[in-house]
Amino acid sequence: MIPNAALEAGVAIYVALAVALSVWLAIFIYLWRIDALARRLKQSLEQQQQQEDHERPAVPKARVTRVQAAEEETVER
Amino acid sequence: MVQQMAQVGKLLIGVWMAGVAAAMFLIVPQYEGLGNAGRIIIMHVPTAWVSVLAFALSAIFSGLYLWRRKPAYDDYALAAAEGGFLFTALATITGMIFSEVVWGVFWNWDPRQTSIFVLLLIYAALFALRSAIDDPQRRRQLSAVYALFAFVTVPFLVFVAPRMAESTLHPNCVFIQGSHCDGITLAEGRIGLLGDHKLHLLELERQGDVVTAHVLVGEPGLARETLLRPSFNLATGTMMDRPEFPGVRYQLGLERVDLASNSALLNIEAPGTGVLANRTTLYTFLASTTGFTALFIWMLHVRATLLGIAWTLAQREGVRL
Repeated sequence: MIPNAALEAGVAIYVALAVALSVWLAIFIYLWRIDALARRLKQSLEQQQQQEDHERPAVPKARVTRVQAAEEETVER
Repeated sequence: MVQQMAQVGKLLIGVWMAGVAAAMFLIVPQYEGLGNAGRIIIMHVPTAWVSVLAFALSAIFSGLYLWRRKPAYDDYALAAAEGGFLFTALATITGMIFSEVVWGVFWNWDPRQTSIFVLLLIYAALFALRSAIDDPQRRRQLSAVYALFAFVTVPFLVFVAPRMAESTLHPNCVFIQGSHCDGITLAEGRIGLLGDHKLHLLELERQGDVVTAHVLVGEPGLARETLLRPSFNLATGTMMDRPEFPGVRYQLGLERVDLASNSALLNIEAPGTGVLANRTTLYTFLASTTGFTALFIWMLHVRATLLGIAWTLAQREGVRL
Protein backbone atom coordinates (compact mmCIF):
# COMPACT_ATOMS: atom_id res chain seq x y z
CA MET A 1 0.00 0.00 0.00
CA ILE A 2 1.37 3.43 -0.90
CA PRO A 3 1.43 5.69 2.19
CA ASN A 4 -0.49 8.92 1.76
CA ALA A 5 1.95 11.73 2.57
CA ALA A 6 -0.89 14.24 3.09
CA LEU A 7 -2.28 12.19 5.99
CA GLU A 8 0.96 11.84 7.93
CA ALA A 9 0.70 13.18 11.47
CA GLY A 10 2.92 16.23 10.99
CA VAL A 11 1.48 17.20 7.60
CA ALA A 12 -2.24 16.42 8.08
CA ILE A 13 -2.91 19.50 10.18
CA TYR A 14 -1.47 21.80 7.49
CA VAL A 15 -3.52 19.98 4.84
CA ALA A 16 -6.65 20.45 6.97
CA LEU A 17 -5.80 24.15 7.41
CA ALA A 18 -5.26 24.57 3.66
CA VAL A 19 -8.62 22.93 2.94
CA ALA A 20 -10.40 25.10 5.56
CA LEU A 21 -8.80 28.29 4.18
CA SER A 22 -9.68 27.34 0.59
CA VAL A 23 -13.30 26.71 1.54
CA TRP A 24 -13.45 30.00 3.44
CA LEU A 25 -11.85 31.89 0.52
CA ALA A 26 -14.43 30.44 -1.88
CA ILE A 27 -17.32 31.37 0.44
CA PHE A 28 -15.90 34.86 0.96
CA ILE A 29 -15.45 35.55 -2.76
CA TYR A 30 -18.95 34.26 -3.49
CA LEU A 31 -20.45 36.44 -0.75
CA TRP A 32 -18.44 39.49 -1.82
CA ARG A 33 -19.54 39.15 -5.45
CA ILE A 34 -23.19 38.50 -4.67
CA ASP A 35 -23.15 41.47 -2.27
CA ALA A 36 -21.70 43.77 -4.94
CA LEU A 37 -24.20 42.53 -7.54
CA ALA A 38 -27.14 42.96 -5.17
CA ARG A 39 -26.03 46.48 -4.29
CA ARG A 40 -25.65 47.45 -7.95
CA LEU A 41 -29.01 45.94 -8.85
CA LYS A 42 -30.72 47.73 -5.98
CA GLN A 43 -29.17 51.05 -6.98
CA SER A 44 -30.20 50.68 -10.61
CA LEU A 45 -33.74 49.73 -9.57
CA GLU A 46 -33.94 52.79 -7.34
CA GLN A 47 -32.60 55.00 -10.14
CA GLN A 48 -35.13 53.58 -12.59
CA GLN A 49 -37.88 54.20 -10.09
CA GLN A 50 -36.78 57.80 -9.61
CA GLN A 51 -36.57 58.32 -13.37
CA GLU A 52 -40.05 56.90 -13.87
CA ASP A 53 -41.43 59.10 -11.11
CA HIS A 54 -39.76 62.12 -12.70
CA GLU A 55 -40.98 61.38 -16.23
CA ARG A 56 -44.51 60.54 -15.24
CA PRO A 57 -46.84 63.53 -15.91
CA ALA A 58 -48.65 64.99 -12.95
CA VAL A 59 -51.92 63.40 -13.93
CA PRO A 60 -54.32 64.61 -11.26
CA LYS A 61 -53.31 68.28 -11.61
CA ALA A 62 -53.68 68.25 -15.40
CA ARG A 63 -57.02 66.56 -15.15
CA VAL A 64 -58.29 69.15 -12.68
CA THR A 65 -57.09 71.99 -14.93
CA ARG A 66 -58.74 70.45 -17.98
CA VAL A 67 -61.96 69.78 -16.16
CA GLN A 68 -61.98 73.33 -14.85
CA ALA A 69 -61.29 74.72 -18.34
CA ALA A 70 -64.02 72.59 -19.81
CA GLU A 71 -66.48 73.81 -17.22
CA GLU A 72 -65.61 77.44 -17.86
CA GLU A 73 -65.98 76.98 -21.61
CA THR A 74 -69.32 78.13 -22.94
CA VAL A 75 -70.79 75.57 -25.16
CA GLU A 76 -73.30 76.54 -27.76
CA ARG A 77 -75.87 73.94 -28.51
CA MET B 1 -18.24 57.18 3.51
CA VAL B 2 -20.59 54.69 5.18
CA GLN B 3 -20.32 52.42 2.15
CA GLN B 4 -16.52 52.55 2.28
CA MET B 5 -16.58 51.68 5.97
CA ALA B 6 -18.90 48.77 5.21
CA GLN B 7 -16.52 47.50 2.52
CA VAL B 8 -13.58 47.71 4.92
CA GLY B 9 -15.67 45.85 7.52
CA LYS B 10 -16.43 43.05 5.05
CA LEU B 11 -12.75 42.71 4.15
CA LEU B 12 -11.97 42.62 7.86
CA ILE B 13 -14.43 39.72 8.29
CA GLY B 14 -12.55 37.83 5.57
CA VAL B 15 -9.15 38.38 7.18
CA TRP B 16 -10.51 37.81 10.70
CA MET B 17 -12.09 34.45 9.88
CA ALA B 18 -8.98 33.32 8.00
CA GLY B 19 -7.01 34.21 11.13
CA VAL B 20 -9.44 32.24 13.30
CA ALA B 21 -9.04 29.20 11.03
CA ALA B 22 -5.24 29.49 11.18
CA ALA B 23 -5.31 29.90 14.98
CA MET B 24 -7.67 26.94 15.32
CA PHE B 25 -5.24 24.62 13.57
CA LEU B 26 -1.86 26.09 14.50
CA ILE B 27 -2.10 27.98 17.81
CA VAL B 28 -4.83 26.29 19.89
CA PRO B 29 -3.23 23.46 21.88
CA GLN B 30 -4.42 19.89 21.56
CA TYR B 31 -6.84 18.89 24.26
CA GLU B 32 -6.04 15.88 26.41
CA GLY B 33 -8.13 12.90 25.36
CA LEU B 34 -9.32 14.45 22.10
CA GLY B 35 -6.15 15.26 20.19
CA ASN B 36 -6.69 17.43 17.13
CA ALA B 37 -10.41 16.64 17.05
CA GLY B 38 -10.91 18.93 20.07
CA ARG B 39 -10.20 21.95 17.84
CA ILE B 40 -13.69 21.60 16.37
CA ILE B 41 -15.07 23.34 19.47
CA ILE B 42 -13.79 26.62 17.96
CA MET B 43 -16.32 26.18 15.12
CA HIS B 44 -19.05 24.13 16.79
CA VAL B 45 -20.13 26.34 19.68
CA PRO B 46 -20.00 29.72 17.84
CA THR B 47 -22.19 28.34 15.02
CA ALA B 48 -24.71 27.17 17.63
CA TRP B 49 -24.61 30.63 19.27
CA VAL B 50 -25.15 32.38 15.91
CA SER B 51 -28.15 30.15 15.19
CA VAL B 52 -29.79 31.29 18.46
CA LEU B 53 -29.04 34.93 17.57
CA ALA B 54 -30.48 34.40 14.08
CA PHE B 55 -33.71 32.89 15.35
CA ALA B 56 -34.04 35.74 17.87
CA LEU B 57 -33.60 38.29 15.06
CA SER B 58 -36.13 36.41 12.95
CA ALA B 59 -38.66 36.71 15.78
CA ILE B 60 -37.88 40.42 16.27
CA PHE B 61 -38.31 41.22 12.56
CA SER B 62 -41.49 39.12 12.47
CA GLY B 63 -42.86 41.16 15.36
CA LEU B 64 -41.88 44.38 13.56
CA TYR B 65 -43.62 43.16 10.41
CA LEU B 66 -46.84 42.44 12.30
CA TRP B 67 -46.63 45.90 13.85
CA ARG B 68 -45.60 48.04 10.87
CA ARG B 69 -46.57 45.78 7.90
CA LYS B 70 -43.44 46.73 5.95
CA PRO B 71 -42.37 43.96 3.51
CA ALA B 72 -38.70 44.73 4.25
CA TYR B 73 -39.17 43.42 7.80
CA ASP B 74 -40.54 40.18 6.40
CA ASP B 75 -37.47 39.91 4.13
CA TYR B 76 -35.17 40.30 7.13
CA ALA B 77 -37.22 37.83 9.20
CA LEU B 78 -37.00 35.21 6.45
CA ALA B 79 -33.29 35.88 5.83
CA ALA B 80 -32.58 35.52 9.57
CA ALA B 81 -34.55 32.26 9.78
CA GLU B 82 -32.65 30.89 6.76
CA GLY B 83 -29.34 31.94 8.32
CA GLY B 84 -30.36 30.35 11.61
CA PHE B 85 -31.24 27.13 9.84
CA LEU B 86 -27.90 27.10 8.02
CA PHE B 87 -25.90 27.73 11.19
CA THR B 88 -27.93 25.13 13.13
CA ALA B 89 -27.14 22.62 10.40
CA LEU B 90 -23.43 23.56 10.67
CA ALA B 91 -23.54 23.15 14.47
CA THR B 92 -25.19 19.76 14.00
CA ILE B 93 -22.61 18.58 11.47
CA THR B 94 -19.62 19.75 13.53
CA GLY B 95 -21.27 18.19 16.60
CA MET B 96 -21.68 14.92 14.73
CA ILE B 97 -17.97 14.89 13.88
CA PHE B 98 -17.18 15.54 17.55
CA SER B 99 -19.61 12.79 18.52
CA GLU B 100 -17.91 10.32 16.20
CA VAL B 101 -14.56 11.02 17.79
CA VAL B 102 -15.81 10.93 21.38
CA TRP B 103 -18.67 8.44 21.38
CA GLY B 104 -17.68 6.40 18.34
CA VAL B 105 -20.92 7.15 16.47
CA PHE B 106 -22.08 10.13 14.46
CA TRP B 107 -25.57 10.08 15.94
CA ASN B 108 -26.80 8.46 19.17
CA TRP B 109 -29.98 10.46 19.95
CA ASP B 110 -28.31 12.17 22.87
CA PRO B 111 -30.73 14.79 24.34
CA ARG B 112 -28.65 17.59 22.81
CA GLN B 113 -28.70 15.96 19.38
CA THR B 114 -32.43 15.25 19.63
CA SER B 115 -33.30 18.81 20.66
CA ILE B 116 -31.27 20.38 17.82
CA PHE B 117 -32.93 17.97 15.37
CA VAL B 118 -36.37 19.08 16.60
CA LEU B 119 -35.27 22.72 16.19
CA LEU B 120 -34.26 22.04 12.59
CA LEU B 121 -37.67 20.45 11.94
CA ILE B 122 -39.51 23.44 13.46
CA TYR B 123 -37.74 25.91 11.16
CA ALA B 124 -37.99 23.59 8.16
CA ALA B 125 -41.77 23.72 8.76
CA LEU B 126 -41.59 27.54 8.55
CA PHE B 127 -40.12 27.32 5.04
CA ALA B 128 -42.72 24.70 4.09
CA LEU B 129 -45.45 27.00 5.38
CA ARG B 130 -44.15 29.93 3.34
CA SER B 131 -43.99 27.91 0.17
CA ALA B 132 -47.52 26.59 0.70
CA ILE B 133 -49.28 30.00 0.69
CA ASP B 134 -49.69 31.91 -2.57
CA ASP B 135 -51.07 35.19 -1.30
CA PRO B 136 -47.99 37.26 -0.27
CA GLN B 137 -49.84 39.25 2.39
CA ARG B 138 -51.23 36.16 4.05
CA ARG B 139 -47.91 34.33 3.71
CA ARG B 140 -46.08 37.16 5.48
CA GLN B 141 -48.62 37.40 8.26
CA LEU B 142 -48.79 33.68 8.97
CA SER B 143 -45.05 33.12 8.79
CA ALA B 144 -44.45 36.10 11.11
CA VAL B 145 -46.81 34.60 13.68
CA TYR B 146 -45.22 31.16 13.20
CA ALA B 147 -41.69 32.59 13.59
CA LEU B 148 -42.70 34.22 16.88
CA PHE B 149 -44.08 30.94 18.21
CA ALA B 150 -41.10 28.99 16.84
CA PHE B 151 -38.71 31.23 18.75
CA VAL B 152 -40.47 30.42 22.02
CA THR B 153 -39.15 26.86 21.63
CA VAL B 154 -35.53 27.95 21.00
CA PRO B 155 -34.41 28.71 24.59
CA PHE B 156 -36.12 25.53 25.75
CA LEU B 157 -34.60 23.30 23.06
CA VAL B 158 -31.13 24.83 23.15
CA PHE B 159 -30.60 25.65 26.81
CA VAL B 160 -33.19 23.91 28.98
CA ALA B 161 -34.06 20.47 27.52
CA PRO B 162 -30.48 19.14 27.23
CA ARG B 163 -29.74 20.22 30.80
CA MET B 164 -32.91 18.66 32.16
CA ALA B 165 -32.00 15.26 30.75
CA GLU B 166 -30.45 12.93 33.27
CA SER B 167 -28.33 10.99 30.84
CA THR B 168 -26.56 13.27 28.41
CA LEU B 169 -22.95 12.78 27.47
CA HIS B 170 -22.69 16.24 25.94
CA PRO B 171 -19.84 18.03 27.68
CA ASN B 172 -21.88 20.83 29.23
CA CYS B 173 -19.14 21.41 31.78
CA VAL B 174 -17.15 23.18 29.07
CA PHE B 175 -19.23 26.23 29.99
CA ILE B 176 -21.42 25.44 32.95
CA GLN B 177 -20.67 23.42 36.00
CA GLY B 178 -24.09 21.89 35.62
CA SER B 179 -25.74 18.90 37.15
CA HIS B 180 -24.27 16.53 34.59
CA CYS B 181 -20.81 17.21 35.91
CA ASP B 182 -21.59 17.11 39.59
CA GLY B 183 -20.79 13.42 39.81
CA ILE B 184 -22.17 11.00 42.35
CA THR B 185 -21.16 10.25 45.92
CA LEU B 186 -21.22 6.56 46.78
CA ALA B 187 -20.44 4.73 49.99
CA GLU B 188 -18.68 1.35 49.80
CA GLY B 189 -20.99 -1.34 48.45
CA ARG B 190 -23.54 1.19 47.10
CA ILE B 191 -24.88 1.44 43.58
CA GLY B 192 -25.66 4.66 41.67
CA LEU B 193 -26.25 6.06 38.19
CA LEU B 194 -23.79 8.39 36.48
CA GLY B 195 -24.94 9.44 33.04
CA ASP B 196 -25.99 6.26 31.28
CA HIS B 197 -23.74 4.09 33.42
CA LYS B 198 -24.50 2.09 36.52
CA LEU B 199 -21.70 2.38 39.08
CA HIS B 200 -21.15 -0.06 41.90
CA LEU B 201 -18.46 1.01 44.38
CA LEU B 202 -17.00 -2.29 45.55
CA GLU B 203 -14.28 -0.96 47.84
CA LEU B 204 -11.85 1.85 48.57
CA GLU B 205 -8.27 0.60 48.86
CA ARG B 206 -5.68 2.80 50.58
CA GLN B 207 -1.93 2.48 49.95
CA GLY B 208 -0.05 5.33 51.62
CA ASP B 209 -1.49 8.57 50.34
CA VAL B 210 -3.15 6.94 47.34
CA VAL B 211 -6.73 5.71 47.49
CA THR B 212 -7.96 3.46 44.69
CA ALA B 213 -11.67 2.90 44.13
CA HIS B 214 -12.79 -0.43 42.70
CA VAL B 215 -15.83 0.42 40.66
CA LEU B 216 -17.95 -2.00 38.67
CA VAL B 217 -19.28 -0.05 35.69
CA GLY B 218 -22.37 -1.31 33.87
CA GLU B 219 -23.08 -0.17 30.32
CA PRO B 220 -26.50 1.20 29.35
CA GLY B 221 -28.78 -1.85 29.16
CA LEU B 222 -26.38 -3.69 31.51
CA ALA B 223 -25.11 -5.81 28.64
CA ARG B 224 -21.59 -5.75 30.06
CA GLU B 225 -19.86 -4.82 33.30
CA THR B 226 -16.28 -3.68 33.61
CA LEU B 227 -14.11 -3.12 36.65
CA LEU B 228 -12.44 0.32 36.63
CA ARG B 229 -9.93 1.58 39.18
CA PRO B 230 -9.73 5.38 39.43
CA SER B 231 -7.40 6.72 42.10
CA PHE B 232 -6.94 9.81 44.25
CA ASN B 233 -3.94 11.32 46.02
CA LEU B 234 -4.84 12.35 49.57
CA ALA B 235 -1.65 14.37 50.08
CA THR B 236 -2.11 16.62 47.04
CA GLY B 237 -5.92 16.34 46.85
CA THR B 238 -5.78 15.56 43.15
CA MET B 239 -7.06 12.81 40.89
CA MET B 240 -4.56 10.27 39.65
CA ASP B 241 -5.60 7.38 37.37
CA ARG B 242 -8.67 8.12 35.30
CA PRO B 243 -9.64 4.99 33.36
CA GLU B 244 -11.88 5.28 30.29
CA PHE B 245 -15.43 3.98 30.27
CA PRO B 246 -15.68 0.94 27.99
CA GLY B 247 -16.31 1.89 24.36
CA VAL B 248 -16.29 5.68 24.81
CA ARG B 249 -13.67 8.40 25.33
CA TYR B 250 -15.03 9.42 28.73
CA GLN B 251 -13.03 8.84 31.84
CA LEU B 252 -14.08 7.90 35.35
CA GLY B 253 -12.51 10.24 37.89
CA LEU B 254 -12.27 9.87 41.66
CA GLU B 255 -12.72 13.49 42.71
CA ARG B 256 -12.97 13.24 46.48
CA VAL B 257 -12.59 10.60 49.16
CA ASP B 258 -14.06 10.62 52.66
CA LEU B 259 -12.36 7.86 54.64
CA ALA B 260 -14.45 8.53 57.75
CA SER B 261 -17.66 7.52 55.98
CA ASN B 262 -15.89 5.28 53.44
CA SER B 263 -17.45 7.18 50.58
CA ALA B 264 -16.13 8.65 47.33
CA LEU B 265 -17.21 11.24 44.79
CA LEU B 266 -17.06 9.70 41.32
CA ASN B 267 -17.50 11.76 38.19
CA ILE B 268 -17.40 11.61 34.41
CA GLU B 269 -14.44 13.41 32.97
CA ALA B 270 -15.71 14.34 29.53
CA PRO B 271 -13.20 15.19 26.81
CA GLY B 272 -13.82 18.85 26.19
CA THR B 273 -14.53 19.54 29.84
CA GLY B 274 -12.61 22.63 30.85
CA VAL B 275 -11.25 23.10 27.34
CA LEU B 276 -11.76 26.87 27.62
CA ALA B 277 -9.65 27.06 30.76
CA ASN B 278 -6.72 27.49 28.37
CA ARG B 279 -6.32 31.23 27.57
CA THR B 280 -5.29 30.71 23.93
CA THR B 281 -8.29 28.45 23.31
CA LEU B 282 -10.61 30.91 25.05
CA TYR B 283 -9.42 33.92 23.00
CA THR B 284 -9.59 31.97 19.74
CA PHE B 285 -13.07 30.82 20.70
CA LEU B 286 -14.18 34.41 21.41
CA ALA B 287 -12.63 35.60 18.14
CA SER B 288 -14.48 32.85 16.30
CA THR B 289 -17.79 33.82 17.96
CA THR B 290 -17.28 37.48 17.00
CA GLY B 291 -16.30 36.56 13.43
CA PHE B 292 -19.26 34.24 12.92
CA THR B 293 -21.65 36.87 14.32
CA ALA B 294 -20.29 39.53 11.93
CA LEU B 295 -20.41 37.07 9.04
CA PHE B 296 -24.03 36.24 9.82
CA ILE B 297 -25.02 39.93 9.91
CA TRP B 298 -23.39 40.43 6.51
CA MET B 299 -25.15 37.35 5.10
CA LEU B 300 -28.44 38.52 6.59
CA HIS B 301 -28.14 41.91 4.89
CA VAL B 302 -27.22 40.41 1.51
CA ARG B 303 -30.03 37.86 1.59
CA ALA B 304 -32.64 40.43 2.71
CA THR B 305 -31.50 42.80 -0.07
CA LEU B 306 -31.87 40.00 -2.63
CA LEU B 307 -35.36 39.15 -1.35
CA GLY B 308 -36.31 42.83 -1.60
CA ILE B 309 -35.02 43.02 -5.19
CA ALA B 310 -36.88 39.84 -6.13
CA TRP B 311 -40.09 41.31 -4.72
CA THR B 312 -39.66 44.64 -6.58
CA LEU B 313 -38.93 42.87 -9.88
CA ALA B 314 -41.86 40.49 -9.42
CA GLN B 315 -44.19 43.44 -8.83
CA ARG B 316 -42.94 45.19 -11.97
CA GLU B 317 -43.29 42.14 -14.15
CA GLY B 318 -46.55 41.12 -12.55
CA VAL B 319 -45.09 37.79 -11.44
CA ARG B 320 -46.36 36.16 -8.27
CA LEU B 321 -43.64 35.24 -5.78
